[in-house]
This record gives sequence, structure tokens and C-alpha cells, in this order.
Amino acid sequence: MLIVKQISKNFGSFQALHKVSFEMNKGDIVGLLGKNGAGKTTLMRILTSFITASYGTVLIDGDDINKHSLSVRQKIGYLPEKPPLYGDMTVQYYLKFAAEIKGVPKNQQLSQLAKVLEECDLQQVKQKTIATLSKGYKQRVGIAQAIIHEPKLLILDEPTSGLDPMQIQQVLALIKNQRDQRTVLLSTHSLTEIEQVAQRVLMIKSGEIVLDDTLEALLKNKDPTRSQPLTLEQVFINHHQPQTLDAALQVSDE
Amino acid sequence: MNKIFALTKKELHSFFSSPIAYIILIVMLSLFNVFFFLIIDQNREVSLRDVFQLMEFMLVFFIPLLTMRLFSEEKSNGTMEFLLTAPLTHTMIVLGKYLSMLIFYSLLIGLTLIYYFIVEYYGEPDPLSILSGYLGIWLEGAFFIAVGLLASSWTSNQIIAAMVSYLILFSLYFSTSFTQYVSGSAEHFLIQLSTHTHLENFAIGIITPSDVVYYLAGILLCLVLTRLSIDNRLWH
Repeated sequence: MLIVKQISKNFGSFQALHKVSFEMNKGDIVGLLGKNGAGKTTLMRILTSFITASYGTVLIDGDDINKHSLSVRQKIGYLPEKPPLYGDMTVQYYLKFAAEIKGVPKNQQLSQLAKVLEECDLQQVKQKTIATLSKGYKQRVGIAQAIIHEPKLLILDEPTSGLDPMQIQQVLALIKNQRDQRTVLLSTHSLTEIEQVAQRVLMIKSGEIVLDDTLEALLKNKDPTRSQPLTLEQVFINHHQPQTLDAALQVSDE
Repeated sequence: MNKIFALTKKELHSFFSSPIAYIILIVMLSLFNVFFFLIIDQNREVSLRDVFQLMEFMLVFFIPLLTMRLFSEEKSNGTMEFLLTAPLTHTMIVLGKYLSMLIFYSLLIGLTLIYYFIVEYYGEPDPLSILSGYLGIWLEGAFFIAVGLLASSWTSNQIIAAMVSYLILFSLYFSTSFTQYVSGSAEHFLIQLSTHTHLENFAIGIITPSDVVYYLAGILLCLVLTRLSIDNRLWH
């Protein structure tokens, strides 16, 4: 579904991504982990054709994003970190506009609209102006616009950022429900969220992929000297500050 | 085309959802009307030539207010990312936005067509020269909108976008004022650069290919530069 081959991105002399490669299969939900500034958003912006990679290629459903940018964008649903919403529009008007510019055939627009309103639980606010909605609802409207054209690949950049625990659970449930319909790449800082929805984890550090494994394999205790299996948090810390993890594990073992 | 019209519709919807569209419409029409009656009363002739020239001067002030938000607002709200990651070409985005303002402007100019019937009530105006004047003022507004659109694509700040538009439009409008400092081909260039020079012919009922080409080339140049600005993300 998604093949990323050796992509690098330079902003002047700063290298934001360095030879990043990975693949995703149909139906995968992959969590993209990394600290602030690690290169997560840059990677997602390249995958969505918002910016171009300095080197390397990206194939989405067989199409090269540089050669077939339009048809690739037709196959992608994207929710940036800040939901791209027009505050003066009603939810219904905005989603209809999203359907129109994303090429949903005219005779299917209303049914698609009804479907995403239902799926994202937005029925009761569909006539409300977006500016008046809570952050949780805004995030769900953001997801609704990303899936209204039935994309094959859904890319979500920190979709739970700034939400309260209840809203986070609602958004995560919505993401989980996408599993049967599309491939999902989810960027987040929250390891708990990754554990809840993803089957596989990609960890990015200073623009390089430092870990690519299934969640199950990661959480298995690979160290026979430890009595407890590692948590994802420990795996994350181990890749970023190994000394801190060693100290913490020594304390817990004692 | 459907996607371009969807963008145009969305722009008009956003524009008319805020008071600014109504304020600009009312203020411009009121000023046009006041000056129309003053000019007609003073000149005592059944011609709209001076009215068109006054309209041109007022467009220099008002059009940047119409266009300043077109791209700047998208950039500051984060919705530019939404448009640029949707299956739209950059040309579609530019045309959709441009068309929306052109429709609004056409509505504004369309509402002043009543001036023809008013002068016709008092005398026998030359309908072709009035039609030519309207074509000229419409082309000039269309050019100014393209300039405003370009300026808006350069920045996320609406005030800066308006200021840049004013700078370009005033330079074009007043370029003949600098002819006293130069001579020869430079003087000719400044005269030909002036929007005022090209509207004058239209206002007296003369449509020349060079005047039409001036406006169309200006519009095309600005739209192409806007497209390039988005391609290169100068504002990013």
C-alpha cells in the first residue's frame, strides 16, 4: 500500500529526514513515534505531497507521489496537527465542500456525507458553525473530512493533541474503526495511544527511523535478566536516553 | 471545473458570511452614487467618462481590502494545508479564488449599470462609449484583483498583503507622475505602464487591442506568478 524508499529532506543546511525507508500493508495501523522535532510532521507532509522530498521515492498504491501527485492525493486522507477547519462554515457545509474538492461524484456526495456524519458521531452538530464546537468535535470534523472520499491511506498527525481523556478515547475508537477500511499512519507522542490502536511502531529520531517492529514483538521481554516485560514507554526511552532507562530499571529490579 | 466552482462557491460563502462583503459593497456603491451625481451635476453632459475615471481611483483603494484575505487567511488558519493536500491542482486553487472575487466585483459593477439609464433619462448618451467604459473598468478591476491575489499569496498577514497590493497598484496608477524625471523610452514605458493611460481610451469609447492586451497580460502574469508562488511556497 505504502512504500517509502530512502527519502531525505533538507531545509537549507538542516537535514530533517535522512534515508527513511519503510513499507505499510493494506489494513495496517502503524504508530509513528518520536520526540518533537524528530521529523514526524515532515515525513507526513512528504507522504501527502504537501512538500517534496529532497531525495528518494514514495509509492502509494503503486503510484509515485512525484509523478502522479493528483491521483495519489485522491487516495490519501490527511488530518494535520491543527485541524484544517473553516470556522465560519457549518459542519455539514464544510464536509460537503470537502467532498466536492476531493472529487466525490455528485450523486454520492449526500450519502458519503451521511456516512461520515454517522461514523464520526457528528449528526447532532451538523448544523452548527465549526467555530462554536468543542475541541473534541473539531477533531472529529477533521477526521470526517479526511475520510469523506474513502481514501485508501489515512494519515493522522497527532489527532488527540489537546483533547481531554474522554475525547481521546472517542477519537481512538474512531481510528480503530478504520482498520477494516483503510491503512492508517498515526503520529503521536502518547505511547498509551499507540498501544491501544497500532499493530506496528515506527520510531523516528533526528530524522532517521531507529525502530520498526510490531507492537507485540516490542513488548516481549527480550532481556532474560528482567523479571517484568518492557513497556512501550521503556522502549521509547531506551532509544532516546538509554542511561535513564538503565537507572530506572535498576531501581525497579531492586 | 466542478472543483474550481466548489472553491469559488466556498470563497463567496466565506466572504458573505462576514460583514466585510456587505460593508465594502455598501460603502463602494454609496461613494460611486455620490460622485456620479456630483459629476453629472457639475459636467452637465450625458457621458460617464469622468465617472469611470473616478471609479478607477476608488478601486485602487478598495480592491486590496477585498483580496487581502484570499491566501493570507488560509495560511494563517492552517487551511492551506487542507487545500494543497486535496486532489486539486494549484491552478485550480488560484482560479477558484480569483473567480470568486471576479464574481463579487462583477456584481458591484453590474449594480452601477443603472447610471446608463439615469443619463439616458436626461439625454441621448452614446451607448457604445458607455459599454466600452464599462468593459474598461471591468478589465481594470479584474487586473487589480489579480494583483491583490498575488500579494495575498506572499504572506500570511492580511495587513501586509493589503499594503503590498497598495504599493503595486499605486505604482501602476501613478506611474505617469514620474515621467517628469525621465525622457525617451523610459517616459514612454511609464506612460504605457499606467493603468490610467489604458482606461482613458475605454472611457471615451475607444477600444484598442493594446489596451485590452495590457489588462489581459497583466491578469495572466499575476495569475501565473500566484501559481508559482504557491508552487514554491514563498510564504511557507
